[in-house]
Amino acid sequence: MTSRTPIDRREALRRATLVLGGVLSAPLAAGVLAGCEARGVPDGTWRPRALTPDQVELVATIADQILPATDTPGARAVGVHRFIDALLAESYPAAERERFVAGLADLGRALQASTPDQQRAVLERLDREAAPFFRSLKDLTLVGYYTSEIGATRELHHAPVPGRYDGCVPLAQVGRTWAV
Amino acid sequence: MGGVTPDEPYDAIVVGSGMTGGWAAKELCEKGLKTLVLERGRHVEHGKDYVTEWLQPWQLPHRGRGEQALYERDYPIQSKNYAFGETTRHFFVNDREHPYVTPDDQPFRWIRGYQLGGRSLIWGRLCWRWSDLDFEANQRDGHGIDWPIRYKDLAPWYAHVERFVGVSGERLGLPYLPDGEFLPPWELNCAELVVKRGIERAFRGRHMTITRVANLTQAHEGRGPCRARNQCARGCSYGGYFSSLSATLPAAQRTGRLTVVTDAIVHSVIYDERTDRATGVRVIDRNTKQTREYTGRLIFLCASTLGTAQILLNSKTARFPTGLANSSGEVGHNLMDHISKAGASGTVPGLEDKYVYGRRPTGSYVPRFRNLGGKGDGKLGFLRGYGIQAGAGREGWSRGASEPGLGAELKQRLREPGPWEMTMQGYGECLPRHENYVDLDPQRTDAWGIPLLRVHCAWSDNERAIREDVKTQSAEMLEAAGCKNVETYDHDGPPGFSVHEMGTARMGRDPKTSVLNAHNQTHDVPNLFVTDGACMASSSCVNPSLTYMALTARAVDYAVGEHTRGNL
Repeated sequence: MTSRTPIDRREALRRATLVLGGVLSAPLAAGVLAGCEARGVPDGTWRPRALTPDQVELVATIADQILPATDTPGARAVGVHRFIDALLAESYPAAERERFVAGLADLGRALQASTPDQQRAVLERLDREAAPFFRSLKDLTLVGYYTSEIGATRELHHAPVPGRYDGCVPLAQVGRTWAV
Repeated sequence: MGGVTPDEPYDAIVVGSGMTGGWAAKELCEKGLKTLVLERGRHVEHGKDYVTEWLQPWQLPHRGRGEQALYERDYPIQSKNYAFGETTRHFFVNDREHPYVTPDDQPFRWIRGYQLGGRSLIWGRLCWRWSDLDFEANQRDGHGIDWPIRYKDLAPWYAHVERFVGVSGERLGLPYLPDGEFLPPWELNCAELVVKRGIERAFRGRHMTITRVANLTQAHEGRGPCRARNQCARGCSYGGYFSSLSATLPAAQRTGRLTVVTDAIVHSVIYDERTDRATGVRVIDRNTKQTREYTGRLIFLCASTLGTAQILLNSKTARFPTGLANSSGEVGHNLMDHISKAGASGTVPGLEDKYVYGRRPTGSYVPRFRNLGGKGDGKLGFLRGYGIQAGAGREGWSRGASEPGLGAELKQRLREPGPWEMTMQGYGECLPRHENYVDLDPQRTDAWGIPLLRVHCAWSDNERAIREDVKTQSAEMLEAAGCKNVETYDHDGPPGFSVHEMGTARMGRDPKTSVLNAHNQTHDVPNLFVTDGACMASSSCVNPSLTYMALTARAVDYAVGEHTRGNL
């Protein structure tokens, strides 16, 4: 057999219909949305520029461990990995970019061939020990998440034009941390 | 007309469109003078050219983290300024394109905004009057030369500019920090009120107040009010804060007597030996690099402390071989800035159920309490004093990066704000010293052929001693107010870092020791005035812009009177 059978094509169409037909989960929809928002390009055309696809996947996985989906989307869904790739490509001086990539490779090796529980334990240990690379990845994850539209307006509270300043209000009146 | 435009000679030429240039233009135009304002940078239109004003965090390509590689290459100095960032970079100069020279062991941070409106777009907006404690300081301790004016000379002009600017603030009745014509003050927040009570209970004669600030708490002169966004340096279409673009230049424009020319770099002032008058300025077009001249009857230099010094030093004539109006030899000398970036911080306990609404565009302030003329002044080990800028707020989501915690627990925790943190930062007076000076590089020039400015400026022991006292006292006050985890900090910054540089063409009574007289008129050339920070004979410890504005308005009043009487 050198070509797809008609059944294969039908199966593909069925899957496409499922995806396009409105059964997307809320976090996934948010991810598509945030991905477009993050770089201003249609979702399918995004390509990493500083990291390899595997490295991007690793960043997204760890970022989602740091800020997972709860009743709001998590770090992967809002495209934190895209923000980090963009920062590495456009902002970081070459030496710092290389340091980041090396740190990421080390972390990837530490997580390799272990169960999700073991991976989690490694990340928790690095976090407790304030390991420099992990802390910088955590910092970037927080920036990418809480400055995203979902992070700022759904997870936190954002008022682009407050209109007034009140120096002492009940916390319950605002409800959540100010995004800015 | 031989290339002369129909408007020439202008009644007045103002060099620079920033804080003082805007004021000179407004006052000159309103007094009936046909006025030309020359700005070396690009044109910026109020509102339309505030290109980042409406961008939300997720719309910034680098989410506020900026472009580090670019900053290291092109903005190594500007990027150190607190107001510089992804949303404001276009209002700061490219350091690579605008070099100046400092000795290797004596850095000076020259923060600049070359555009219409200058640094009035990106200033800190604090507005304090000086008092005679400041005007008499040089005479009292013998550093520098005595000011030729006192508070009573400037008080009506402070009122004049405050009424137009719109300064919000609290009246305190302190003789050493005179009250002004204030709009209602911004509020202290709950944590600041706790610290204020603690300080005022523990230290007799110390106060904490809200800053006096050019952010409008109510609509004023057709501008504002401020919408509490706290993003002023992006530009504000509401006109919520005072700038040349929001306020003074439009006022000048309304008279029909204003001409503004941008991209016009003033190379030098033209001086006529025969009449002993300045007759105009020589300009290099920023884009074409062609030279041209403008003629005018009155010349106001408002090009900033260092910019004005550079122009004067570069205006050499047979009578003034070391620079125009420099018979005293003081042009370029006595450069000052304020010390800052030292203080203390601590946690204000409690108030977990309280928060703020909105982003107040300013902070709180502890007015000067050292060397006010009481007993014990001599024991401090330094002259003059400092004020403390302060502020409290609850920690936000970014605290999560430096605390342990992962996953849903972290996310949940950051949904609520962290503890209230209070920070204090001293701003201290700098003594006028002849050996802090600028001159022109004899060889190197910029892209327009103008000799590079060389800056030689260093702190003295007195400024270092003030720094130490700022840290000690800030920590003691926070502790007295019940703060926890009190720590001092000292991000030692070289001169220039406070962006309060001043003093390169000082005022004084004696033409042998000063460049300007009591009316900001050069002793040497009667129709040449300097009203920017260059005119300052001492530095006080308060933010200087309001004083520059008042001196400018007062100088214009004098100049126009003399002009009308035919004395210029």
